[in-house]
This record gives sequence, structure tokens and C-alpha cells, in this order.
Amino acid sequence: MLTSVPIILLLFAISVLLAMGLLKWRWRRLSSLECRVMLSGGGTGGHVNPALAIAEGIRKREPDARFCYLGVRGKAEAVIVRRAGYPLHFVSSTGFPGLRPSFRTIRFFIKLAVGILQSSFLLLWFCPRWVVATGGYVSAPVIIAALIFRTLGIAHTRIFLHEQNSIPGQMNGLLGRWVDRVLLTFPQTLSFFPRNGSVVGYPIRHSIVQKSRDEAASNLAFRIPEGRWVVFAFGGSQGARTINRAVVDALRHLLPYRERLFIIHGTGLAQSEKYDPAADTEGRLKRVLSAEERVLLEGFYYRQDYFHNIADVYSVSDLIVCRSGAGSLNEISSLGKPALLIPKANLPGDHQVMNARAMKHGGAAEVLFEDTVLEEGQVLETLQGHVLADRILRLMNDPGRLSDMEGRSRQFLRRRANERILSELFQDNSYNNGLGAHGLPFKPLMTNHGLLQALSAAYARSPSSYDPLDVVEDEDDLVYYRHRAAGLLTHEAWQDRNVGVKLIGYTHYHEKTPALLHMLADRTPASRLRRLFGGDFKEVGFIRRNIVQAIQVMKLYDPEIEGHLLVAAGDPYFEVRSQVCQAFAFFGSRVFERETVFQTVLKGLEDDCFEVSVEGARAIGEIGMDHRALEILLLLRENHYWQVRDAGLRAIHRLLERGVVPPTDSLTAEIGSFILTATDFRPHFSIKESYKVVQTSCRERLKDGKPLCEDVPLLTEASARKR
Amino acid sequence: MIYEICNLLIPISDSFSFCRLVNYITFRSIMAALTAVIFIFLFSKPFILYMHRRSLLDQARDTGIRSAFDKSGTPTMGGVLIIGAVLSSMAIWGNWHNPFLVASMAGMLWFGLLGFWDDLSKVRRRSGDRGLSERTKLLLQGFFAAAFAWVCVGPFGPMGPEMASKLYIPFYKYPLFDMGPFFYGVFIFLFVIFVSNAVNITDGLDGLAITPSLFVMAVLGIFAYVEGNRIYSSYLYYPFLRNAGELTIFGAAFVGAGLGFLWYNAYPAQIFMGDTGSLAIGGTMAVVSVLLKQEMLFPLLGGLFLVEALSSQIQDKIGVQWLGRRIFFRAPLHHDLQYKGIAETKVVIRLWILSGILALIALATLKLR
Repeated sequence: MLTSVPIILLLFAISVLLAMGLLKWRWRRLSSLECRVMLSGGGTGGHVNPALAIAEGIRKREPDARFCYLGVRGKAEAVIVRRAGYPLHFVSSTGFPGLRPSFRTIRFFIKLAVGILQSSFLLLWFCPRWVVATGGYVSAPVIIAALIFRTLGIAHTRIFLHEQNSIPGQMNGLLGRWVDRVLLTFPQTLSFFPRNGSVVGYPIRHSIVQKSRDEAASNLAFRIPEGRWVVFAFGGSQGARTINRAVVDALRHLLPYRERLFIIHGTGLAQSEKYDPAADTEGRLKRVLSAEERVLLEGFYYRQDYFHNIADVYSVSDLIVCRSGAGSLNEISSLGKPALLIPKANLPGDHQVMNARAMKHGGAAEVLFEDTVLEEGQVLETLQGHVLADRILRLMNDPGRLSDMEGRSRQFLRRRANERILSELFQDNSYNNGLGAHGLPFKPLMTNHGLLQALSAAYARSPSSYDPLDVVEDEDDLVYYRHRAAGLLTHEAWQDRNVGVKLIGYTHYHEKTPALLHMLADRTPASRLRRLFGGDFKEVGFIRRNIVQAIQVMKLYDPEIEGHLLVAAGDPYFEVRSQVCQAFAFFGSRVFERETVFQTVLKGLEDDCFEVSVEGARAIGEIGMDHRALEILLLLRENHYWQVRDAGLRAIHRLLERGVVPPTDSLTAEIGSFILTATDFRPHFSIKESYKVVQTSCRERLKDGKPLCEDVPLLTEASARKR
Repeated sequence: MIYEICNLLIPISDSFSFCRLVNYITFRSIMAALTAVIFIFLFSKPFILYMHRRSLLDQARDTGIRSAFDKSGTPTMGGVLIIGAVLSSMAIWGNWHNPFLVASMAGMLWFGLLGFWDDLSKVRRRSGDRGLSERTKLLLQGFFAAAFAWVCVGPFGPMGPEMASKLYIPFYKYPLFDMGPFFYGVFIFLFVIFVSNAVNITDGLDGLAITPSLFVMAVLGIFAYVEGNRIYSSYLYYPFLRNAGELTIFGAAFVGAGLGFLWYNAYPAQIFMGDTGSLAIGGTMAVVSVLLKQEMLFPLLGGLFLVEALSSQIQDKIGVQWLGRRIFFRAPLHHDLQYKGIAETKVVIRLWILSGILALIALATLKLR
């Protein structure tokens, strides 16, 4: 019995090796015999269309090529690929939820494992020469399976990955390290794949051809009067609520220019129950504009839900207002049109923002960001009409800038992406491949926490000369960060709102102050359970404290803010009270109703919590106007906490400095009655000081480039004497 | 070692009769304490120097207290000294056939190594906040705690099966009730994890963790002496735990090592015990009190550790992370006191006094039952 075990094992090993050899032989034979291509990618049309475009290109070159498309059931590829007539197989996969241990993570790994197994069988059966993936989580299992086979030595295949956006998706970013080539759309993305990246552009199926203006205009269903400057605003095939509403709102601001402008508005097709673009736009138009104004729209504004001949519309336009999906940007760039981009906020990896940024850095576009607001309990993204109108008018009146944008737009993305990709696939240099493109420097956006850390550190270094632009550097980025911070205020979790409040303060987003003040005064109670443990309101203590601090950081002060601060001085949470006193001390000279504020600070001085008393004393030092302040401060002489006594003494010093009270002999006698014994002291390590002296002198000399042998005592004379 | 040698020598000749001394727990205890102190005095200076040279120094950590001076740059991992002293002292004077001693030693070493790893990764990554992740730490602590709980209630329990899962409380002569092996095991599991972390949290100021743990180990040593002695235990109505007397020696060695360490750790500290020390001390205290069936005495005896851990957890988990407000000014307790304007030295000494009082009260439960 026992002797048969090694024999069985041996037989098993031999059969495995044989099977592997057989599979390898079959794969090699099939893949060299004909051009077999496995395609994958999907989730949205933006991932599927490039894959089909590549397939079409291959078919043109190798008419006998065989294709096999892997997708996920129920997604965009199920419709589009079927219609295009490629054999379609479904595998299981799902979006990556992050590595945090949760039920969804487990589900993800199970689905992925099943998907890998399914793709393995399909790969073994199909034996492709190339695996071409266009991203999205859909293509993850097949890439992983192909990589495994390649490692085992069975697969005789090359793996390509096409990335449409400027910032790679999570899956692409990870798997892109091991595939043969990552085909990129944006030159900025090259910094993610320095080894195997190649900038090829965005493959399109039916290229959009530039037509002459007259020819295009004659194809249109509507007439554009002569000599108009044409704006084409659209939000993709499904429409974008933000853009539709903003365009309608902008109309009344643009009406005065109706002799010079013409606006084409693509509202989008209704595809979900939640939002019907045409009806919503119609309704809003009626609400925003009066009947007379609507009459004026004739010959100035044209609206249609979907343009089948979008190339014609592009050709007659002078400015495109749209989302910044990779597909749209590619179309705009291939025609060389200047664009005003409104990236969709709150997307994974902020990829629309990154795309828009990339195009803006290329000088081909301007960017407007949408606000995230809470309206009737619903999170909405909005863009104000006058902002949009203002930007459009500014561009209209700046032809120099426009023509510059036009030229840069033309150069922004690589053209002839199909040829470049085929050249990469066939490895025949049939077209100058993308390797020659040098990547543009890519500066990633900071995360909310990273940004907060950087900004608060800068503020801590020098509060007086603090400017968020010094940290962020790019003005548009700062604007985006502001919008993102404001978006955080709509979140359910207080931790996010808290970060939002801090960021609004540090990015100096002054326009959001009313929202902050509203939150400060909000008295919606927290849940019963939280109140049981000492919570109070929905806007938790930290948020209220940080709002007061944010106001201080923004250096904003007006009677309304003062009113809110006076109310907040009675807050149930001690840190808020102490922060309010601190704010009064900070704004000292700018206080309006001195007496009311003085009385409020006085109450703070008598607070149960010593922290508030300390700040209250400081505030009195800053805002005290007569000898009443001095008398009150002298009362602190026997306070239990030495910090309060200390703050009292310092406040008296401030009063003297500010000339509120004159220095008198009686004052000297009175401050002598302060209890000066303290329970705390500051230790003093001589050796650490000596070390610092040497260190700084070394650094200074290094900076000045002076020789180090100068005969200067390392210790200053004063510190030497102390020893 | 000496214990074994002497017991080999005694039957050989009458001239070795003085070796009988090693059978007295009191004698071995005193010798163990002295050995540990001498060990620390001998090795501390070279150890501190070595740590400086290898720059295994404490990394600054953001506590929110505006500290009077910068403590980063003090060598850490002083726990290695404590563990080394106890280990060598017990190697000389201990009876290693005793399951009580082996269990306590295992606890000390496991937690010590865990802390050592944590310290090392903090030093490597140059950040006081980036040691082992909380989850890894808890997992490794939990691993030992689970194994220990199983040993206690399982077939190899040093307390004997009839006592294993009974719960004793202070001020009451008889076991409160039998929790059953499963629930008692879970209880021990949680207890060990809690106590080891409590000491870790307490270890925030110079000399703050070591002295209270001296008190705790001394009192536990006395309890071990009583419970391991048939006469005293029956006189004071304690359950008689055969062999538990060995823990007196262990406790004494610990007190010796702690005293020696305090010599260098007293304000301003020349060396910190680090997680190596605090986790090891916590683990040891937990294991010893469970072995002596005094786990319910610990909240009183080590009340300081309890308050420190609770204040820290309440502040962090309930206050800052859930309610969005501070419940105490600062946490744990010693930082709160510092924040209120009490100097570090004063905070430390006041907390020593409190823990001393608690130890006395705990000692009183010997008779007050």
C-alpha cells in the first residue's frame, strides 16, 4: 500500500507536466496560426468603445482575426459589444472596495477568484495571441489569469492595457506593473508607468473629422445666424444635471449679448428614472426666465436632447462646455477646440478632475468646479449660472487667449491612436510608436488629510503671513480643493464634516462662511445614545470649535460673525467657549460692540473650566478699555490654577502695553500679591542648549559658505556667563 | 541553577547542610532580588551607551501636551534590562520545574518580545506613532492570552482542576461562584490583554510605570507566599495553591529589577523601558494575578493602571472618535494632570503615592475578609 504512494505521485506529476506541455503546444500553435485577440474592459461605455476601436483596427489589418470579448453581465459591454457583433463571454468581477476588512472586501475577493477561474478556462480554450484590456475592474480577472499562465510558462501571449484617464484606476495602477505594455492617453500618466508605458492617445471607432464651418452648418437641423460666436454645451449622452441647470441659469446673464452669441445645448437622453434631462431643463427654463425673455431666446439658443451628427456641431462651435471624461477630451482635442471643462466631482480617484487639470496644464482648457451642496436632504452638485456666464463672456472677449487654446488643444492629445496601438501590438514600427513622447510632469492631487496636514503646518509656522497658495501653488487646484472641502460638509459622518470645516478655514474659502456660521448655530440634537454618553448636537463639539478656529484662520470679522461668536460663548462644550475667547483676543482691536463682548469674556473668566478662564484673561488683556479690566484681572491673584494667574499677569502686561492703564506704584504693589508659587516649571538642560548653539552656528556657516575656522566663541557671551 | 545544585549536594554530605537554605522561599527571594539589582547595576551603563551608539533612541510622539522639553533622543528598550535581570536571577535561584514560574516567565518573555519588535519598528521608521499596528499587537497579545487561558482551565492548569474556574473576589473568603471553564477562559483572555495594555498606556512619564508595578509585584509576591504556604493559607482562609510560593521569588526578582531600573529611569530619565518593558511588565502582572486567583484584586491593587487605561480608552474611543468632543482635558490621566499645570515630577510622585496607598489597601485584604 505504502509503496504505491510515490508511484501515484510520480504518475500524477508526469501527467501534470504532460498536460502543461500539451496546453503550451496548443497555445503556441493556435496563437501563431491565426491572429487571436482577447478583449476585455467595460463597466461604462468609456471603457468599451476604445476596446472596440482597437478591435476594428486589428480587423482592418488582419481580416481573419478572431476575437473574444470578456465582460461583466449587465454592464455597458453587454449591449455595445453584442451590437458590434463580437463573441461575448461573461466573467464575474466587482469594483475594488479597499483593503479594509469588511463584508464587501470578502465578496470582492470571492468574485475576483471566481472571475480568474472563469477567465483561465476561457484563456486556455481561446489561446489568444494578445490580451488587450481597456481597464475598469472588468478586465482585472483576465489580466491576472493571463499573468499566472505566463508565469507558469503555458501562455504564449502578450498583455496590453489601455488607460483612458490621466490617473490610472486602482486595478490598472496595480496590474500595469506586470503587463507587457501600458498604452496611455495622457502624457502625464507616463510617470506612473515609466518602464512599460507608452503614450498612444485615445482610440476612436469612427473618427470625428474636421469639417469646414459652412459645410457643417448646412448639415445642421437649425440655422446659426452669420457672425455669431458659438458655444456648445453638453453633458454627455445621458446629460449632466449640473451643466444643464447651469446653462439655463446662465442664459439670463447672456441674453444681453444675444446679437453676438449663439448657444447650442445638448441636454442628454433620459436613461434613469431619477433624472429626465429634457423635462427638467424645460421646467427650469420656465421658472428662471419670464415669457418675454423666452421669446428672445429664438435665434440665440438651440436645445436638443441628443446630436447624432455631433461632429458637425463641434465643427461650428467656438467653445465647448462639457464634462472632462477621457472620450470627450479626445474628441475636443482631435478637432482642436478650446474647452471650458466642468469635471464631475466625487468620482473614484477624482479622475475627471485630473483629466481637466491635465488639459488645463496643457493650456487647452479652462476649468470650473461644481459645488456639492445639501438641498432638501439631498446631496446635489451645482454650478452657479452667473459664474458660467461670466467665464463664457470673458473667453468670448479674449480672442488671443482663444486662439492660443485652440492651438494647444490640437497638440494636447496624441492623434492617430489606432495606428500607434497597432504598431505596438504588431511590434512592427508601422507607425512611430508612443515611446518617443516624453511625459509631462504629473503632480498628484493631495488627499484631504494630506492637504490638511500641509496647510495646518504652514499656518502653524507663521499665522500672520499664511497664504494657502504658498502650499498649493496652483490656483486652480486651490479652487478645486475649496470645492472639495465644501463638499465634505454634506457628509453624514461628522468626522468628514469636521475635516471640511478645517479645510474651508485653511483654504480661505470665504464664500462658505455663512454655511459655517449656520453649522455653528445649529442645535439639532445628536442621537439619544450619544447624548447619554455626553454628546450634545449633530454638529459635534469638535466641529463647533473648529468653526470658530476657521473664522480665526480666515481672519474674517464682521458684526454678524461677532453675533454668532457671542452666542457660541455660551456653548455647552468647554473647548468651544475657550476657542471663542481666543478668537476675541485674536480680533481684539476689531471688536464692534466692545461692552457686550467684554461682558461675555468676563463670563468666560468665571468659567468652571480653567482652560476657558485662561483664554478669557488673555482676551481681557486685548479688549479691555478701562481700569475695570485691571480690577478684574487683579482678582485672579489667588486663583487655584497657576496658568490662570499667569494669564492674568500677562493680560495686565498687555493693558500696560496698550496704554489702557498707567503704570503706578500701587499697581506694582498689587501684582506683588499674586501667588507666584506654581506646580509646574520648565527644566533646563544645559547640554541640549550647547548642542543647539553648535548646530545652528554650523548651519548658518554652511548656508553662508563661510570657512569654518573663524575664531568665534560657540556660546554667546550671556550663556557662557550663566554657566 | 543554584537551587538544583544545592538539592543535589545536600544528600552527598553533611558538610553541605547549609545548602538547605535554598529550600526557604524567603532566602531565595532576597537573593533573587539582590541578584536582579546587581545585574541591572552591572549592565545598565554599557547598555545605555550601546543604545546611544546604535541610536536606538526614543522617537517623538505627538501627545498634544506642550512638553517642557523634548524627550526624544533618550534611549529606549530598557525593558530588555528588566527582563534580562529577572531572567538571569530566576535562572540562578528559580526552580524551573515549577509550573507557576514557567507560566509567568512565558508571559513575560512573550510580551517582552512583542514589545521589543514594536520598539524596533518605531526606531526603524523614525516615528513614535508608527510601530506595529494596533491590530497586529492585539492579535499577538490575544494569541498568548488565549493559550494561557487554555492552560489555566485546561488539563495542565497549575491551580488544579477543582479551583481552576472559580472566581475569588477581595474581602470575601469563599469563591464567589464557578464561572465554568469557557467563561472563565474568556475572562482571563480579556484580562490579560487589558492589563498588558494598561501598563503600556501608563508608561508615559519618567518612572511612572515602574514604581507602581513594583508595588503590585511586591503585594502579589506576598499573596503568593501566603497562598503557597499550607499553614498561612489555612489561617487566612485562602485556597492553598501548591507550588505558588515560587512566585514570591519571581516577584522579589521583579522588585529588585524594578528598583535597579528606577535608578536610571527616575526623572530626568537616562533610559526608557519602552514597549519592551511596559508590555512585559503588564503581561507578567496579568499572568501572576491570574495564577494566584487574585484577578479581581487587580482593579484595586493596580487601580492606577486601570484608571489610566480607562481614561485613555474613554477619551479616544468614546469621546474623540465617536462623540466628537473631549471628555477629559487630555488623556490618559497623567497627561490630564500635566495639562492642568502640574509638573511631570510632581505628577509622577503623586501617582506613586496613590498607587502605594492602593497597594496597602490591597494588602489589607489579606486579613480583612
